[in-house]
Amino acid sequence: MITYPRYLDRSQSPVVRLIGLGNAGVNLADRISMNQGMDLETVVLNSDQQSLSSSVSGTKISLGPLTTRGLGAGGDPEIGLDAARESQADIEAAVAGADIIFLCAGLGGGTASGAAGMVAEAAKKAGALLIAIVTSPFGFEGRRRTAQAAAALQEIAAHADAVVHFENDRMAELAAPRSGVSETFAACDELLGGCIEAITRLVSAPGPLGVGLPDLLSVLDGGDGLCLFGTGTAAGDNRAHEALEDAMASPLLDRGRLLAGAASVLVHISGPPSLSFAEVGAVMQEVARGAAEESLLQLGISTVPAKDAPLIVSIIAKCGAAKSAPAVRQPATKPQPPKPKSEPVVEQKEPLLTPEAPDETPAAAATKPSPAPERTVSPVARPRPTQSESKAAASPKIKQETLQFEPVARGRFEKIEPTIVEGEDLDVPTFLRLTGKKR
Amino acid sequence: MARDDIHVGLEIGTTKVCAVVAECREDGDVRLLGVGEAPSRGVRKGEIVDLENACNCVREALSDAEEKSDVEIKSVWLAVTGSHIQSFNNRGSVVIPDDGGEITEEEIQEVEYKAKEISLPKENAILHSIIQHYYVDGQEGVLNPVGMLGSRLEADFHIIHGVTNRIQNSIRCVKECHIEVEDVVVNSLASAQVVLGRHQKESGALVIDIGGGVTDYIVYLDGAVRHSGVLAVGGDHITNDISIGLRIPITRAEKLKIEEGSAILGKSLPGENIVLKNDTGFSGKEVEREMLNMIIHARLQELFALLRKRLAGEVPEHLLGSGVMITGGCSCIRGIREVAESVFEMPVHLTRAQAVSGPTSAFENPQFSTCIGLAKYAQAVRSEMPEESLIGGIFKKFTGIFGLKS
Repeated sequence: MITYPRYLDRSQSPVVRLIGLGNAGVNLADRISMNQGMDLETVVLNSDQQSLSSSVSGTKISLGPLTTRGLGAGGDPEIGLDAARESQADIEAAVAGADIIFLCAGLGGGTASGAAGMVAEAAKKAGALLIAIVTSPFGFEGRRRTAQAAAALQEIAAHADAVVHFENDRMAELAAPRSGVSETFAACDELLGGCIEAITRLVSAPGPLGVGLPDLLSVLDGGDGLCLFGTGTAAGDNRAHEALEDAMASPLLDRGRLLAGAASVLVHISGPPSLSFAEVGAVMQEVARGAAEESLLQLGISTVPAKDAPLIVSIIAKCGAAKSAPAVRQPATKPQPPKPKSEPVVEQKEPLLTPEAPDETPAAAATKPSPAPERTVSPVARPRPTQSESKAAASPKIKQETLQFEPVARGRFEKIEPTIVEGEDLDVPTFLRLTGKKR
Repeated sequence: MARDDIHVGLEIGTTKVCAVVAECREDGDVRLLGVGEAPSRGVRKGEIVDLENACNCVREALSDAEEKSDVEIKSVWLAVTGSHIQSFNNRGSVVIPDDGGEITEEEIQEVEYKAKEISLPKENAILHSIIQHYYVDGQEGVLNPVGMLGSRLEADFHIIHGVTNRIQNSIRCVKECHIEVEDVVVNSLASAQVVLGRHQKESGALVIDIGGGVTDYIVYLDGAVRHSGVLAVGGDHITNDISIGLRIPITRAEKLKIEEGSAILGKSLPGENIVLKNDTGFSGKEVEREMLNMIIHARLQELFALLRKRLAGEVPEHLLGSGVMITGGCSCIRGIREVAESVFEMPVHLTRAQAVSGPTSAFENPQFSTCIGLAKYAQAVRSEMPEESLIGGIFKKFTGIFGLKS
């Protein structure tokens, strides 16, 4: 009998399952299932009973109720792994029957870092396409966590078909530096959610040039499993260009620069029936210019019947194993640990423990530590907030407060003949006159 | 004779004084021999406000040019600008004496004289009168009516005039250095000589020369000047805006404008800041990039919108086949093309002197467009090229006027 993986069967729409692992994973899964009206089954796994009980997901699995007594892994991957071993049967049940599994986890803590490898292995054994969406800890969380995250990433990559790896440090680029902590996390979750949405849209939406799971696989297959992703949405005259620009602006693509190292690039364009061939051509040309010459370009086009639907460009790229250097974006503080499993972590424990001791609080079980960000958002934000607070947020419109001038300010033109055109003194800065008019 | 072919263009600009020495060959080729420049002092909005300082700068620039070109400068062609310079189109007409007779040079001079018979403010004088079109017995599009038969000759002229005393000041400044002024030429007219080719003049183009203190503009249509003018807004205004808006000294604002400024909005990251280096003694300060760009954008947007408004009644925009050419120092501002395109809604090109040879660093710099244009203009006038032939004559008269006064 010839067997083939279930996900290659296109006769029915695939069963997509989202598994949130660990605190961060649970948060992300919750956010996605609440925000997007997607056809997703959500399953959350955690060793921390508290986080599970507040989750809105349909299926909740407590990992290692005996090992951790529902208190969480306390930032120790060893405990996380023990908990996972204890609940192996539950994990296998959770992954069974799905065609595509998105495994969401925030690496660096205890539960996710310890259990991710096992969950990934189980998912793969169950015959699903496994796409891992993981975040690595903030640089300021210490090198120990970074090392744990790196080791866990290795384990996941060994099993997953694709890994979308996101550095928390890059969250600064998603939200304005001075925006609130929860807003920043929301922006991050939104990006990851967008990624999941794009992949499901890509394999399920009909269109003149459909992309199925096999195409997605051919792009994601092989290599070291690291994945680049960006999605952009735009409407209006210049939508093709704007959507592409938006997609390229994704921090995961590092503004398009990382495309150069991609072995294969899948571009999916979804739009209203008015989507023109020229627009597709324009997008593809731009992407081809950014990508390496020998890389494999895959194109998928789907149209939606709604006339006013926006044009959505999604780019999924896979880094070649050889060129993994730009893609394996381990935080600069720590070189990537050597090959397999959990030994590296143990090795590194000794030298790291002493200097990085403050990291070891039990509260740090969550991958996104709840107390930490509040104090530390500013180091993440690149521009230091030294200036007047009134200049604050992102929008360029909130400018008036900084400019308290006398009504007429002519500066260096104070003493010479004014330029008056149509009753306006052109020597007074334009922006001052504009803001004056608005009032 | 060879010496006669060397022309010197001098521009006393708001930012810098520059002198271009160029060798003009008979075949129309212009070769730059040397460019002298000096930072300008005592000039605001294209006009001299401190004669003594300005004189020193002119002297400096001229000696620099002499040194670089190895030519002794005796006379220059001087570019003038300033908000007082205005223009209009006027038609003159004459009746050919014996009905159906031949049109001669005499009639042509007479029709120009008639066209210039208009009431100008007392203190103004005509700088240029440029032929647009002749009409013989109402027949349009006659380029050169000499020798044609007709009973009535009409001609449209573009007349550029300015306040005599203010122009006199610039001439005075040069004469203080014991250098003769061959003639004065309006900035925009000079720039257009090198920025536009014959083809572009035919198909129609708007040239905007944004300098430090003023913006000169000129419209060519069907090979003739259709409209021109000066708007006393330039790069200095942008610097001043930045200085006021970000509360930094003028010199720092100028540097910031050149190094970091852009007129494109929405391209910087939210909250992206520029750290000002602690060089002139004030402590490191941060300015928001978007704010800086917004200030520049607002000023340029307004400038272009004003220009478009001014042209609206005068020039049919759809006839400007070659679009808009921007030159002058301010054309180096990042994103200026995009802003101009969004305002004018037609193709915009950033240009510099074309069709000249010599040190590339000189003619590739849009700041020198006017100056190089002067040399080319001089050559055109001297060689009495058909399209400019009439202007030459008038000039002689005007140098006469200025000569008497100074």
